[in-house]
Amino acid sequence: MDNDKYFSQVYMPKMNRLGKITGYLGVLFSFIPVSYLAWQYGLVPQGSALFASFITAAASFGVLWVVEPISYFPVLGPIGTYMAFLSGNISNMRVPCASIAQKAAKVEPGTEQGSVVSAIGMAVSVIINIAVLTVGVVLGASVLEKLPPNVTQALNFLLPALFGALLVQFGLKFRKHACFMLVFAIAIAYAVRIGLFNWLPGAANYLPMLSTVFISIIIALMVHKKKA
Amino acid sequence: MEVMQIANSFPMWIACGVPVLLVVVQAALFARDSFTAGKAMGLTDIQLKSAARSSAITSIGPSIVILSGMLSLLVMLGGPVAWMRLSMIGSVMFESLAAGIGTQTVGVTLGSDPLTPLAFTMALWTMVLGSIGWVIFATFSADRMSVIEQKVSKGNTVIMTTIASAAIIGVFSAQSAASLVRLNKNAVACILGGLIMAVITFIAEKKDSHHLREWSLTITILLAMLITALL
Repeated sequence: MDNDKYFSQVYMPKMNRLGKITGYLGVLFSFIPVSYLAWQYGLVPQGSALFASFITAAASFGVLWVVEPISYFPVLGPIGTYMAFLSGNISNMRVPCASIAQKAAKVEPGTEQGSVVSAIGMAVSVIINIAVLTVGVVLGASVLEKLPPNVTQALNFLLPALFGALLVQFGLKFRKHACFMLVFAIAIAYAVRIGLFNWLPGAANYLPMLSTVFISIIIALMVHKKKA
Repeated sequence: MEVMQIANSFPMWIACGVPVLLVVVQAALFARDSFTAGKAMGLTDIQLKSAARSSAITSIGPSIVILSGMLSLLVMLGGPVAWMRLSMIGSVMFESLAAGIGTQTVGVTLGSDPLTPLAFTMALWTMVLGSIGWVIFATFSADRMSVIEQKVSKGNTVIMTTIASAAIIGVFSAQSAASLVRLNKNAVACILGGLIMAVITFIAEKKDSHHLREWSLTITILLAMLITALL
């Protein structure tokens, strides 16, 4: 069987099935702890209080349930989408690891080989993430609290440094485009910060990412068309 | 029974461990099939292994940041819940926000008031109900969005690559901008990260050093973090 057919006729159908089964199982399984509390201790929430807190939660970030899977899809692809949303920590971990894996294997994003490699990168990052968290939780608060405060403070700078580094690493290949997008992203982030989008509820949570990703795609496609 | 005793009890570890295990199993299954597929599609062992190794190295830094975020959740809601909530769905910021909303509706301010069993239950329910929306929508739409993307690009791989590369630059631009507009030390860390990466990439290209390329991200973020903290 040639490569092209293997991907579309064997690999993808299998991955879609696996992604859907594990995804929906994940939704069910996240109710195990609350079910245990109800069954063992009779601890059930009052209906009205639960309704109130669900509405508050949905109003604060309900838009993200739909906006995030859509705006990350062009980066994550279908397999990555299944994995990233079940495991969480998407922008700070899954996207960087998937992209770095593609770079290491020298495959292009958006291709079939790229999808396979990013799935491997993402799976590895999920396992490392959980391993680190498990070690941390076993060591427990007693050990973690002994970390000197300047160490925990310094850790706050790790993610900003990571994003700056990644932007340069991936932007070097498309310098003009990356510079323009950074200026655009800063403008949007600044506009949101000074409250220009306050009329749009929750805009601060999704507008910068959503608009930057899609403007970036549109511009790249226009430039591509012009060249062709 | 005292609420923190319940929260840290052995059965609670099991109840939270099952969902965590599912996330691990999903990742392991995807990895196994992707390795097989990669080989069938003509990728070499070296390519696949260096992809896995680079991702593992890159994962360490962010994992430690997530771990330090787990600390606050661990103190407030006990080990098992903190462990499960940060191993699946959501993110540090979302989880504490949702837990706080949950306890607030029964009159308990998370972190300052003593936790009651009911507040603990509310926190847990709110975190679960507040996060499954992501998984349900993502799981339902993943293959459908793929069909839309195929239609937009008409199966043209050059266009698919253009879309994905542009999206990656968009994501990292937006993330960098979020730090930059704060005009504080986070902005400094972001700029340093970019500068150091540019220098290391230049050296790695010149010396054609494979190792330097693989470790460039880890070296960069550690250096940038250290310099920013010492400033």
